[in-house]
Amino acid sequence: MPVFALLVISKAGSLIYHRTLPTSTSASTSSSGSQPATGTLGLPGTTSLTTNDYLVLAGTFHGVHAITKNVTPKFLANSASSSDHPPAPTTNGVTGKASSFRYPIPDAPVTGIESLESSFFKLTVFQSLTGTKFLLFTDPSMPNTDGLIRGIYDRFADHVCKNPFWHIDNPIRLDGWERALNQFLFRR
Amino acid sequence: MVVFAFYVFDRHAECIYKKRWQDALPGAPATSLRPPSQSTVANAPAPARQSLKSDDDAKLIFGTVYSLRNMVRKLGGEDDSFLSYRTSQYKLHYYETPTNIKFVMLTDVKANSMRHALQQIYVNIYVEYVVKNALSPAEHPGGIGVDNELFEASLDVFVERVLNTQPPDPRA
Repeated sequence: MPVFALLVISKAGSLIYHRTLPTSTSASTSSSGSQPATGTLGLPGTTSLTTNDYLVLAGTFHGVHAITKNVTPKFLANSASSSDHPPAPTTNGVTGKASSFRYPIPDAPVTGIESLESSFFKLTVFQSLTGTKFLLFTDPSMPNTDGLIRGIYDRFADHVCKNPFWHIDNPIRLDGWERALNQFLFRR
Repeated sequence: MVVFAFYVFDRHAECIYKKRWQDALPGAPATSLRPPSQSTVANAPAPARQSLKSDDDAKLIFGTVYSLRNMVRKLGGEDDSFLSYRTSQYKLHYYETPTNIKFVMLTDVKANSMRHALQQIYVNIYVEYVVKNALSPAEHPGGIGVDNELFEASLDVFVERVLNTQPPDPRA
């Protein structure tokens, strides 16, 4: 199971759940065997990571996510002569009277990072409509991470959001959620 | 595949070159400081190169890639390297040379890995026309940047002829 870790970040940017998964199988099957000793995340650098480091990472990512949404390229709406992107007037691309512009894909909503690739891992991000972000660290070769993260979101909705003892944006310490997650990730 | 923008950052976090294609940043008129290079592709309007200090998107891009690079290093170890990220609208590719010069390219989401292309730009264009240029300053304090006709022209040709004209993705 080449899933390294799951992080859940609240809409305020704080880490509300963090779990690293044992990756004994992935170290032997997915990598070329050249990696040094694997840590908790199955990655060489994570042996020394503390909970505090994860909190910092979550906060950093929250900010970066907002910036990546902001730096989306914008084109002049009237220069839409490119054949690749037929001009589609949309409420999405127009903000004011003076500066009317459009985004590269006018029909799609503008989001922050949806996936990130590095040499050793792939990060898939899913942001729910309420702003909660799910970060799934997997092996770069792992297929269908979008489906996986949707499944995790389903479990989150059922076992966390619907739990009356959980208050929104509080850290998640719920046995039912852990069980559902285990079942979903390991017995699929 | 379409290239939206290209940035080069030196090791002092200074944006030394920036170029945006088909650009319309609100509030930043599409004027160039110098006469634009001859563009070979009809659908590309005059390249918009603003003064390096006039707007902040280069700083935002740098902050993003710097944070993500450090995050990736922390999680994956010193040998890990940040390659790219993707949003619903664009994809950002990143390549860092051993001398900490950072190359960043924004493309459309269907683009494949551009690591090789960025390396080509570094080896065949940046090294040839900027590093080997005796008149080019080694450091770029105050954001003077790479002000080099040959570099700009070659980059333009590379992007327009090599990258933008690759056969479209069959899934598209």
